[in-house]
Amino acid sequence: MELSQWRSVADELTTAMAAPLEGPVPLDRGAWCAARGAAQSTLAGLAVRRAGAGPFRVTDHDVRVVLGTGAVEADDAPFAWSARTARRTIGLAAVRSLLAAEARTPHDAVQARLADSEREVRDGGRTVSQLDRWVAALPDAGRSAVAAEAVTWATRLWCALDWPALGLPLVVGRDHWWDSPHSALLALRGRADVRTRAAHLVVLSGPRRESVRAELALVALVEALRARADAEPAPGRVVGWWPDSGHIVRLEPHPSVLALAADAVALVLAGGSPTRIAAA
Amino acid sequence: MGTLRPMVLVAPRPLQRPTSGAVAAGAGAGGEVLALLRDTAARPSFDPGLAGGLRAWLEDAAFGVVASRGELAPALVLGPREVLGTGPVAGAGPVAAGVADGEADDARLSEEAVVSRLVHVLFRRLVVEGAAEGAVVDPLGDALDACRAEGPGGAGAATVASVEAMDEGSRKALGTVVAGHAAHLADLLPRLAPAWMPRTDDRVAIPLAGGRIVLHGVFDLLVGIPRPDTASLCALGLCTGGSWARERRLLHYLALLETLRSGTPPFRLALLETGSGRYGVEDVREEHLRAIASHLAAWLGATAGGAEGDIPEVGVVGAVAVAERG
Repeated sequence: MELSQWRSVADELTTAMAAPLEGPVPLDRGAWCAARGAAQSTLAGLAVRRAGAGPFRVTDHDVRVVLGTGAVEADDAPFAWSARTARRTIGLAAVRSLLAAEARTPHDAVQARLADSEREVRDGGRTVSQLDRWVAALPDAGRSAVAAEAVTWATRLWCALDWPALGLPLVVGRDHWWDSPHSALLALRGRADVRTRAAHLVVLSGPRRESVRAELALVALVEALRARADAEPAPGRVVGWWPDSGHIVRLEPHPSVLALAADAVALVLAGGSPTRIAAA
Repeated sequence: MGTLRPMVLVAPRPLQRPTSGAVAAGAGAGGEVLALLRDTAARPSFDPGLAGGLRAWLEDAAFGVVASRGELAPALVLGPREVLGTGPVAGAGPVAAGVADGEADDARLSEEAVVSRLVHVLFRRLVVEGAAEGAVVDPLGDALDACRAEGPGGAGAATVASVEAMDEGSRKALGTVVAGHAAHLADLLPRLAPAWMPRTDDRVAIPLAGGRIVLHGVFDLLVGIPRPDTASLCALGLCTGGSWARERRLLHYLALLETLRSGTPPFRLALLETGSGRYGVEDVREEHLRAIASHLAAWLGATAGGAEGDIPEVGVVGAVAVAERG
C-alpha cells in the first residue's frame, strides 16, 4: 500500500458513511419499491400465522442467533444490567453530548451522564430509567467500573469518525421500530448507533460471522417499511464496523437486501434452517 | 521478510530519566512514567507498508493452518496464552484472567488470577478517577464492588466467587496483598488528562484467513488517537507478578495487533509492576514487531504440522532501549 493510498480507520469509516451510493438504488427506485412490497407481503403472512402466539419482537440479535453456527448462546439468561450491557447506552449518551459540545472528552461526557442518572434518581425525576436506578444504586467502585467500560466504548466511536464530514442531520443511538399493520404482536427493531441522511452505522461486537449481512439488512428493512410513500427518502447504506479489528462491512441498498432481511425474519419466527439466506 | 518496504523509524535510543520540569506533570513514579511517555523529542514514523507486510506474513502462515484443519473447521481463536504461552496474564482481560465470558460464575480461580483481576479493576478505577489521591480507600472491598458491577458470567463474577469461598484468614491475607499492589499502583500510575483519550481494556481481534484464525488480546490502557502516518498511541500494561520478560513480550504482541488493526503501532510502551513498584518504558521498534510476527508465523506453521508444543519461546529484543526502575 502506497503512502498516498493509506487511510486511517476514521477516514475509511467516514468514507463508508458518506460515499455516494452504489448499485441500482436509488437509480432504480421501482425495483426498490417492488422489493419492499414483496417484503411487506412476506411479513403480513408471518403476522397472520403468528396470531395468538404472543408478542414477538425481531431484533438483530435474534437474526444472529437463528443464523448462527449452532453455538449455544446464553439466551435463556434474564437480562441484567452490568458494566458491559450498560456501556452502549451510556457511551451513546456521551457521544451525543460531545456532538452538542456539552462535554470536551468521552471521559467527561460519561461522568456527566452517570451524574445525571444519580441526580434524576435522587430528585425523583419523571424520566428515570432502569439503568439510572441501577447506576445510582452502585457503590463508588462499581460506578467507576461502569464508567471505565463506557469511556472505552465511547472513545472508540468518537475517534473512529470525522464527524463534521458526515453532515447534518446526525442522529446518535436511536433504535427504530416497525410495528406490523397486520398484527399488533409483531414488531421489528432496526438498531443503528449513528444515522445520517444517507447511511446507518452499526457498531458490531463478537466475531466476524456470515449472519452479519442479514443483521444489517434488518436495519435497511425497518427503514424501508417505516418510510412514508408520499415523502420517501432515498434508501441508505448500512455500515457495520468492528472496533476490535477495524473491519468494515458495507451493505448497499440493493433490492435483494430487503428480501434477505424478510427471509431472516421468517427464519426467526419459524426457527427453521437457513436456505436462501445462506446463499445470499 | 521480502514483502516489507524499508522502515522509516527513529533509531533505538535509551530513554532518559525525566528532567525536573517534566516530573512536575505528576508526583512520584507516576510523574516519571508520564514524562517518559510524553517525551516527544523523536516520535517514530512507520512505513505505511509495514502493516501490510506483517499481515501478508501472517496470512501466509495462517493459510497452512487452514489447509491442514479444513475450510469448515471452527475458527481458531488464539490469545496470548496460546501463542505466547504466557498463562494467566496479569491485568489483561477476562480471558487472560482464566475465565472466558459466559463460563460459570462459580469457576474457582488461582490466587494469582484473583490478585491479577482485583488489581486490574483497581487500575481501571484509578484511570477513570484520574489517579486521584484517596480514590481507593478499601482496596479489596472496592475491587470486589467493581467486579460485581461487571455482571454475571465473566472474570469479575468468578473472582468474587473465589474470594467469597475463602476462609476469613485467607481473605485477610488477600486483602493485605491487594493493598500492597494498590499502594504501588497509586504511586506508579500517572495522571492522564482526559483529552489524551485514555481507555482501558481496549480489545483487539485480528482475523486471518478470512476469519478462520483470530488473534486477540486486550490493552490494559491505550492513550492517544491512531494516525495514519505517525505512531501516535501509547500503551500501558499492568503486571502483578511473574516474568518481566513475559509481560514485555505480551506488550509487543499487542503492539503487533494494533499495527494490524490501525496501520501503525503504538510508539511507546510502559509496563508497571505492581508487586514491586518497578516500571519500564520503551519505544516500539520494527524488530519488536518482526520478532513477534516471526514467532506467530512459526507457531502457526507448527500448528499446521501438528507440533505447536515445539515452538521455542520468542526472545525479547531491544532491552537496551528500555528505561526501567526497579
